Amino acid sequence: MNIDKYLDIISACRFCFMCRHLSANGLATGRECDTPRSHALIADLVRMDKANLANPDYIRTIYESDLSGANRRHCRGYHADTNCYDEIGLQLALRRDIVEAGLAPAEINAIAEQLKDVAFTVKGTADVLYYRHPCVDRHTPEAADAFARLAPNAAVIEGGDCGTALDILGFAQDAQAVAAKFLAAVKAANCKTLVIPHPGAYHFAKQNFAGQGFDIITSADYLKGLAPKAAKSGKVVFIDSDFLSNYESCNAPRELLAAAGYQVEDFGTNPEESYACGEGAMVQMLYAPTIAKALVERVARFAKAYYDGQTIVVAAPYTKAVISRFAPELKVITVEEAIA
Amino acid sequence: MLPNSDLYPFQMIRSELTWIVGEANVMTDDAQKLSHSIDYYWVPECWHDRGQKLPGPDFVVCPGTAEEVAKVIQVANTYKLPVVPWGGGSGSQGGALPIYGGIALDTKRLNKVISIDPISMTATAETGIITQQLEWEINKAGYSTMHFPASIGCATLGGFIAHRGTGVLSTKYGKMEDMVMSLEVVTPTGEIINTLPVPRHASGPDLTQLFLGSEGTLGVVTKATIKIHPIPEARKFHAFLFKDMHDAMMAGAKLMTSRLQPCAVRLYDEPETARLIKRVLGIDRKGAYLVFGFDGPERIVDIQLEEACKICNLTAIEDLGTESGEAWWTNRYKFFYPPYMFQMPQAFGTLDTVATFSNIENVYWGMKNAVKEKFPEATFIGHFSHWYDWGCMLYARFIIENPPADPAESVALYNKVWDVAIREAIRNGGVINEHHGVGLKLGRMMKDLYGPAFTTLEDIKKTLDPNNIMNPGKMGFKGA
Ligand code: SF4
Repeated sequence: MNIDKYLDIISACRFCFMCRHLSANGLATGRECDTPRSHALIADLVRMDKANLANPDYIRTIYESDLSGANRRHCRGYHADTNCYDEIGLQLALRRDIVEAGLAPAEINAIAEQLKDVAFTVKGTADVLYYRHPCVDRHTPEAADAFARLAPNAAVIEGGDCGTALDILGFAQDAQAVAAKFLAAVKAANCKTLVIPHPGAYHFAKQNFAGQGFDIITSADYLKGLAPKAAKSGKVVFIDSDFLSNYESCNAPRELLAAAGYQVEDFGTNPEESYACGEGAMVQMLYAPTIAKALVERVARFAKAYYDGQTIVVAAPYTKAVISRFAPELKVITVEEAIA
Repeated sequence: MLPNSDLYPFQMIRSELTWIVGEANVMTDDAQKLSHSIDYYWVPECWHDRGQKLPGPDFVVCPGTAEEVAKVIQVANTYKLPVVPWGGGSGSQGGALPIYGGIALDTKRLNKVISIDPISMTATAETGIITQQLEWEINKAGYSTMHFPASIGCATLGGFIAHRGTGVLSTKYGKMEDMVMSLEVVTPTGEIINTLPVPRHASGPDLTQLFLGSEGTLGVVTKATIKIHPIPEARKFHAFLFKDMHDAMMAGAKLMTSRLQPCAVRLYDEPETARLIKRVLGIDRKGAYLVFGFDGPERIVDIQLEEACKICNLTAIEDLGTESGEAWWTNRYKFFYPPYMFQMPQAFGTLDTVATFSNIENVYWGMKNAVKEKFPEATFIGHFSHWYDWGCMLYARFIIENPPADPAESVALYNKVWDVAIREAIRNGGVINEHHGVGLKLGRMMKDLYGPAFTTLEDIKKTLDPNNIMNPGKMGFKGA
């Protein structure tokens, strides 16, 4: 089983409470099962008896998880001298086991079917290839348009998600098949730099396409070189991306905002918690809207308490989409929009 | 435990609970039940580890207001259903385990800071808030709770109130019973009451103190007003090495009885210095490690630090300096993360005891010798972690590397160690315990500890909770 590679994590997390203050779902719902400890306890029961994998309550809990990575990052902070406990890796392994056993819930299978349906096309020829990710296209086309205004000569690749969401949902083989198609299209485009505005896809690309003859950078990284310096002023409240902050330790959006002249204030009460509203789970709001709504409500509560009426700049298109759906009263824009 | 979820009574109760808190907040699924069946107590961990099925709640109910808590408790009274309050579930005494089934009343939706009073320097918050989140919200307003327990990331404010919890800076800022101004409590019969708004008064016995440490047996604390503090200008630490625990203890006691006001003092005995201080801080020395700190206006901190160093320099074998002291502060929580924390299959427990300076060393040696003599397979280590004008707390631990594989045998051995060690501590003038609470683990020793006074506690429990629904079987009270 995939979880067999994570036995040390099961054994560490199953009785550990030390990062529960950062469980985004747990903070939003109050549910005890939304913590690395509970995920590890479930994995442990599966380890002891594979039949437990079929328990629909366990399957639902594992799929509802926010995958923010805040817990893992916190844990890593205490383990400079040893391997960090990869509680995210364990959850993804459980998802893969669920899928491989044919136990994925119907709505997850339906989403996976859509994600497998990809056809990548490239428009234009240039050293810079911009990946117009479907989430960006659907949820924040204004971000893509803003990028196009700032970098009109970039070629564009589009046609689906490059495998990220399939991977996160546990469809590892399908994810690799889609990734191979994406890679072939990128290689055929002969670009030197692949610019990815979607933080999840950026993380996936870094994991899967490194060393393929082109650089992989975020759109924020790219725009840092293009956007007019110090053209803006004033304070912006900023919600970072799970993938960029917790998975990749990438500070590019914040740096871009600062370079543009903004004074950046991080949203919330602390630098560790995820306020990205389930971005790490990438498609959570499609199949777990109650959880997604609870995550947004927590952000909305803090927004009202500390930033009433102010515009919030987000690093991830998903975050903008989910907040816009469940708290339309909040003013949310992407980094690209903020600097355009 | 209700016999069958398909039976009428179960569904009737479920409907009543759902009517009160909403569908999403009444949970009967296996993931929630599993999560509420294991806390930080070694026994359920051991049972889980050995593949045993653990008793869990019939319902996990997450109320969002005190009124909802009250209504849930009224329903529980109607059906004589146990109600076990659950905050972060990180208690080490089994206090939050729903051993008789019933309702696990998860308080984590009660998670709001309601108000901050900068004039009186107090904050009022719901008690299901995780204390690190509480601290962050208070920080945002420019203050601090000064409550820094190792479990800051997992335990709720209510959890700390329930068992009179403490934090690293207790020596200056006190334990939870010193931090709390007043409480809102839902009683075992479902009334919402408030204790007096200030902790110093002469208006009869203090109800706030009655509920503090009651571990959910006398009701559910839903709101608390606590003291808050300015962020200190400076906080500095210093560490010394002593030949042995006795010399270090004398220096620590002198530091306290000189009426200096450290925010923290901690003394590690020789085995713990060799084992944990070496592993976590990388300080590889033979002897007993003593660290202390002061905070406040920098000039006052410096003067106090100088005086404390003078005391320690009289008998210490090495001045480890400020760097070693600061390293301890920086890494204060690290001891509790895997792999530094003990792990299965080890059997381990914290023999938390508090005593006066006159008795504390006798308590230490009494427990240590008894454990050594009766359980040669156990290692005994300890540190002294919360210091007062009159004495300190002993955070002694026993570790058995390879307990029996059979869970029943393993638990029997584990309980025997507790029986021997704690009774020895009580015999030497120790009180169980200082901040972990009683729970399930130590309930059987409450009569030994209190003597005839325990009847008074039992009478209070019977009066407040006539149906014995609130956390039955804990703190030495009757089971369901
Ligand atoms: S991720 Fe680290 S801190 Fe969190 S439960 Fe696991 S071991 Fe503990």
